[in-house]
Amino acid sequence: MSALLRAELLKLRTTRTFFALTGSAVALSLLVVVLTATLIDGITEREARELFLSDFTGLFILLLGVIGMAGEWRHRTITSTVLAAPVRTRLMAAKALSYAVAGAVISFIVTVTIMAVGTLILSARDETTVGAGDLADVLWRNLVLAAFLGAFGVCIGALVRNQIVAIVGLLVFSFALEPALIAVASQVGQFGPTVGAPNGFVELNAFADDEKQLAPAVALMVMVGWVALGFGAGAALLRRRDLV
Amino acid sequence: MGWPATSPPQPTDARGRPAVTRASDSIGAVAAVEIRDLGKRFGSVEAVKSLSFDVEAGRVTGFLGPNGAGKSTTLRALLGLVRPTAGTATFGGRSYEDLDRPSSRVGAVLEDTAFHPGRTARNHLRVLATTGEHPPGRVDEVLDAVGLTEAADRRVKGYSMGMRQRLAIAGALLGDPEVLILDEPTNGLDPPGITWMRELLRRQAAAGRAVLISSHLLAEVAQSVDDVVVIAGGELRGQGTLEHVLGGAGAAPATEVHAKDPHSLTRALEQRGYSVRSEGDRLLVLGATTEEVGTIAAEEQVTVLGLAPQGRSLEAAFFELTGGDT
Repeated sequence: MSALLRAELLKLRTTRTFFALTGSAVALSLLVVVLTATLIDGITEREARELFLSDFTGLFILLLGVIGMAGEWRHRTITSTVLAAPVRTRLMAAKALSYAVAGAVISFIVTVTIMAVGTLILSARDETTVGAGDLADVLWRNLVLAAFLGAFGVCIGALVRNQIVAIVGLLVFSFALEPALIAVASQVGQFGPTVGAPNGFVELNAFADDEKQLAPAVALMVMVGWVALGFGAGAALLRRRDLV
Repeated sequence: MGWPATSPPQPTDARGRPAVTRASDSIGAVAAVEIRDLGKRFGSVEAVKSLSFDVEAGRVTGFLGPNGAGKSTTLRALLGLVRPTAGTATFGGRSYEDLDRPSSRVGAVLEDTAFHPGRTARNHLRVLATTGEHPPGRVDEVLDAVGLTEAADRRVKGYSMGMRQRLAIAGALLGDPEVLILDEPTNGLDPPGITWMRELLRRQAAAGRAVLISSHLLAEVAQSVDDVVVIAGGELRGQGTLEHVLGGAGAAPATEVHAKDPHSLTRALEQRGYSVRSEGDRLLVLGATTEEVGTIAAEEQVTVLGLAPQGRSLEAAFFELTGGDT
């Protein structure tokens, strides 16, 4: 399993897509933090904390996970991948785990970077900053969230083999359908895999009514449940498929 | 990008020492590959029908048949890529999925072997080496063996079809496997490449490895193979040595005969077990010498106007065996 995990991490590091999406995550996260920290006046402690939740790693590792799995069919590399690792459930587990690890590592780099830059700007402007304890709390939550989304992306890629359909569908779901569901029925939407449960986990105040946001521990369990469900369905499909 | 003339690289361990293959690691002393009553159905199409054959170590076995005969499906079932609907396909009694470190036991090049276009050849092999737990040094060894060292750090999307085929072969050789399976491996290769491939197959067999090579073109493999397995319509049509199944030079005699009453002679020959094909006003008698045909004609009191021995080409035999569907 460790060899498979190392191989999947090596795969990740040996394509340009990985570096392009990681660079985009860093750039976008920095842009939001620098602009907000520079322009906002009278920032509260809660707003300052939420500023450091602007880690876009989650979005990009979600897409990378989809690309990493669905791309095996797009590039027709699934045959050689399965030949090298014929136990397909183990293969998918290694893939999901590798994208979870990659998500956590990238998130660590991005979050630490935006925390350092944001804190410097806020301090220079004599604005409220976030204490070390709160920073550590934000950091580990960002890491766990990115790890969840990386693994979840792999599951989506296993379920929807067409890479374009998977990516477009996921973006539409994340940016339109799930927010719409939260708006009209937050008691259901709070369990969503890409916005609802993640916001509850990091305690991002995205809902108009805080009571309809999951508690962090519950949100974490819901996220784990989504990955388990996606992994089970994806692995079953992968095992059954004839690679002709 | 020329074809290398070097010998295949010998495997080394992580410290660069020659690797030792333990007897207990070996797939098996008898048949390296065993196909038993294998069947595969895709919906209403029965691609493979109760197919059985063996592939022996130290020999090159040609897996021959026309396009759509079921060769690729059989190989994919053997490699665990498609699930058989009946029978088994094993390596020394174990399925591919059950092999420990399968790439060190079996190397495979399939017809549509694809690569991530943005990854370099070296990185592609590094990934395979990591998955198979092969020493990193093997990557350079196999790159050298297939003549891709200079192009190793180029992205695969810039590779020609022949270079891709060589990269696929490098991947198959990475674990120095005991069994090599190649599906139409000469596709995309230029004549020097085909020659290189033949030599590679012979060297692998000479080193004791079992080599199974599929092709729909007999001429491409006839010079390399020891044994053949011929299938058509998903069914086994013949198995054994090339000479036994298809007839070699001097084997399987045939006689062309011009008789005054060809119908009577045909009936008489067929009653004695000979295969007779009508070619215009003449008959081609397969498996019979001129003496045998002449004797039978005399016994049946059929006037013979002409009698000539005929050579029987491998292609003609292959054509007959596969029902003329090539």
